[in-house]
Amino acid sequence: MWKYLLEKEFKQFFRDPGLPRMALAFPVLMMLVFPFAVSMDIRNINLAAVDNCMSEESSRLIEKCTSSGYFRLVYHGQSADEAMRLMDNNKADAIITIMPGFDRETVSGSGFPVGIKVNTVNGTKGSLGSQYILQCVRSYVGEKNAASGTTVPPAADISEKYYFNPGMDYKLFMIPALIVIAITMITAFLPALNIVSEKEAGTIEQINVTPVSKTAFIACKMIPYWAIAFFILTACLIIAWAVFGYTSRGSVLWLYLFTILDIIVMAGLGLLISNYSSNAQQAMFVIWFFAVIFMLMSGIFTPIASMPQWAQYITYLNPMRYFADAMRAVYLKGSTPAELWYDVAGLAALGSVMVGAAVASYRKTE
Amino acid sequence: MNTEYAIRIRNLVKKFGDFTAVDNISFDVRRGEIFGFLGANGAGKTTAMRILCGLSRPTSGSGTVAGFDICREQEKIKKNIGYMSQKFSLYPDLTVRENIRLFGGIYGLKDRTIREKTEKMLEMLGIRDAGDRFAAELPLGWKQKLSFCIALIHSPQIIFLDEPTGGVDPETRRRFWESIYDTAGNGTTVFVTTHYMDEAEYCDRVSIMVDGRIDAMDSPAGLKKKFSAGNMDEVFRTVAGRAVREE
Amino acid sequence: MKEFWASVKKEFLHIFRDRRTILIVMIMPVIQIILFGFAVSTEVNNARVAVCGDMSDPQIRRAVERMDENRYIEITEMISVPGEIDGLFRRNEADAAVCFSRDFGSRIPDGRASVRIIGDGSDPNTARMITSYISGVLQDAAADMEISISGERQASMTPVVQLMYNPAMKSSYNFVPGVMGLILMLICSMMTAVSIVREKETGTLELLLVSPVRPLWVILSKLIPYLLLSAFNFTTILLLAHYVMEVPVNGSLALLSLAAALFVIASLAIGLLVSVISSSQRTAMLICGMGLTMPTMIFSGIIFPCESMPLVLQWFSDIIPAKWFIILVKKIMIQGDGFGPVMKEMGILAGMAALLLAASIKSFRTRLQ
Repeated sequence: MWKYLLEKEFKQFFRDPGLPRMALAFPVLMMLVFPFAVSMDIRNINLAAVDNCMSEESSRLIEKCTSSGYFRLVYHGQSADEAMRLMDNNKADAIITIMPGFDRETVSGSGFPVGIKVNTVNGTKGSLGSQYILQCVRSYVGEKNAASGTTVPPAADISEKYYFNPGMDYKLFMIPALIVIAITMITAFLPALNIVSEKEAGTIEQINVTPVSKTAFIACKMIPYWAIAFFILTACLIIAWAVFGYTSRGSVLWLYLFTILDIIVMAGLGLLISNYSSNAQQAMFVIWFFAVIFMLMSGIFTPIASMPQWAQYITYLNPMRYFADAMRAVYLKGSTPAELWYDVAGLAALGSVMVGAAVASYRKTE
Repeated sequence: MNTEYAIRIRNLVKKFGDFTAVDNISFDVRRGEIFGFLGANGAGKTTAMRILCGLSRPTSGSGTVAGFDICREQEKIKKNIGYMSQKFSLYPDLTVRENIRLFGGIYGLKDRTIREKTEKMLEMLGIRDAGDRFAAELPLGWKQKLSFCIALIHSPQIIFLDEPTGGVDPETRRRFWESIYDTAGNGTTVFVTTHYMDEAEYCDRVSIMVDGRIDAMDSPAGLKKKFSAGNMDEVFRTVAGRAVREE
Repeated sequence: MKEFWASVKKEFLHIFRDRRTILIVMIMPVIQIILFGFAVSTEVNNARVAVCGDMSDPQIRRAVERMDENRYIEITEMISVPGEIDGLFRRNEADAAVCFSRDFGSRIPDGRASVRIIGDGSDPNTARMITSYISGVLQDAAADMEISISGERQASMTPVVQLMYNPAMKSSYNFVPGVMGLILMLICSMMTAVSIVREKETGTLELLLVSPVRPLWVILSKLIPYLLLSAFNFTTILLLAHYVMEVPVNGSLALLSLAAALFVIASLAIGLLVSVISSSQRTAMLICGMGLTMPTMIFSGIIFPCESMPLVLQWFSDIIPAKWFIILVKKIMIQGDGFGPVMKEMGILAGMAALLLAASIKSFRTRLQ
């Protein structure tokens, strides 16, 4: 029985005028274009410098900032109002204000005469921007102290080092995440439309009147999505390697393993929604609703640790949290499923609930 | 298991909220009989039929279809019946052959049996050349024939046909009824709903549903006699004229 | 005109008969706004830090205590050799590690003590923020040590940082405009596209088009109900944002509504275009649900600032209406700008809406003939 049902699902998928093309084009386009766009490696922060000191020292500090590569100096002058106006018009993201007497006070020591204003409407840009300026100021002060030799040498040498991604390449960080998004979107949207379109076409009735088992029917609807997801994963990995030169640090096998687990959850959810929807549009809105929530609360774009506690509890129900975490860990750090046992457990638990619910909610007899 | 009756129904009721779609009906259908289930649109024919096929659960009442309980053994019933719905419900994006193969497979037929049956069916239907066309492209009459054949693919004891000939010309309808006769001749019980009164004449027995109740049930000859009518059309108009429910 | 309103009424009946869909469309934005507004934040909190060093050294102990006191940092693990860090990162049990050199305390006076901060570079931004927090704390600690050694008080070397517009660093300031854009876009485009494709499939569109009503009016009558539905969504999102999320509405409401109206018209027109190119409801839905959502999310500046994209993609982002809408909402709502400063964006959005509407009606007509 399985063989025939599977045959039907595959044939229907490939015969659809839009689906195969979309399932192919969506991930490929995403992988080719999005890595360039999803850069939070913020380099061009527009900096306005209000220099009320106009001394050699103050211009050295400003030069320190601009030479760091993170900033683009959009204003250098003495008018605080002008700088503020630039920020109001989104032309400046940060303002550094140097007080008169900057060159003297650093030496004499009564409060640091530099002020920083950061536009934080965009949180990431704001907090990174302020960190960058602070770094520049610190290193300026450090150099100055060392050069003048007026104070004792620093008590301890503090250095920084980064594992796994020494170049701090944000693109690399987003590659596994984009794979996760591509796979999850396709395998959530397609199943959600599947059963409900059979309902709308009336074909499900002819199936319901046969002795077909519920589990077989649901399972056969799910299996093609594994094939699709494997195809997407392979295509994405090849693009990542051929176009961007990235390869997985961990075994590719584990990537496929986690993909299987994720599909069980997502396809199960899609079919579950499909069962409860009376028309395709409803199913689409509901799955879109979940997909966007899953995506934004998965830790892909913003860290989960920064959410309030209640929201962090909600993310335990988010399959993408586990999937994204696992794919990143395997791809970037070479982790193994044993090390990521909690992701395996989370996906497996959610998966069994989803599939169980999908089978149970599929009613052959009303 | 009672061997004389294919279907026995007692006090069947189906309610949707306040609306009583099927109102306490009881009837028996003998094996090998062609049983006509008549009624105006909205009289409750399809609802009753869906319960008999195990697609819907009755609110109350009891009965057996092919010897299995309609409340508890729906999946067993489904093994023993064929169903052709009012609306074409085969996969439009699969070809004729693929549709036959799918349903043959679901009913557990072997590959080889399916292949043999497919050829025989295409031959019988006279649509041999259309085997590789998509089901969606077939003309309505052919679609109906195909649905009928697929409902019979596993040689069920009973076949349920829900308005099988809606919307086709008289000639096609006549030929369709010939196939029904052939099927019944092989011992299969045929349960058919229709609103063409000339078709009612072909049945061994008919029941007429009005407002969810069965108001008359007998052979066509018996009914014509009882209502002293010249044809089934008059019988139907007399009985169905009592309806209070709107369509 | 009479036929036009009759046809509008018919559309309304059609939409409101499907109660579940209406309910979903009305509730969906509420939940999303609340979730994203409160939960999604880019600030890094509770960074899990592992420490490698000799805890019997009083100087190290003091530094570790100071780190633990910092609200962004949480010391979760003590390890004995730096080799363990790799495993911690791979199991995702720590976000950063701090390694103190051997004989740290005793080497401080001669300035040979060293500390190394190790970040998990797989997430570059978070890693950078965390190491920056840690190095800030350690620098302060080091300054204190110097005082204890030299007895000399030094000036604080940290400048004052002032956070503008969004002092609490609330992500809702960023996500309210974003989600507003996403939801209005999806509802308008998808519902329009689906309703037209459905009528194409069932053949009722033909019926409408042979009626005496002019095709242009037929199309417009189909758009009006969604316009009103979007107005409802816009209002609920705004009320929620203001009263629950406490996002300020500093600018003029009329100006904000104008921006929303232009954006909705642009989205409806996109829906119409999708309906022309889609052969089935399913295709129309997937194009709207996936094909429009992802680019909107990525290229409209909700999460990733457009300025840091390569130039070609910046141009691409310029053709996305949601980008301009989101900029407008941010400027009007949060920065409280008047008509003058937003004239450019408003003009662009109006132009896009007009262009899309004209293009969609034209292609729709060609398709009909």
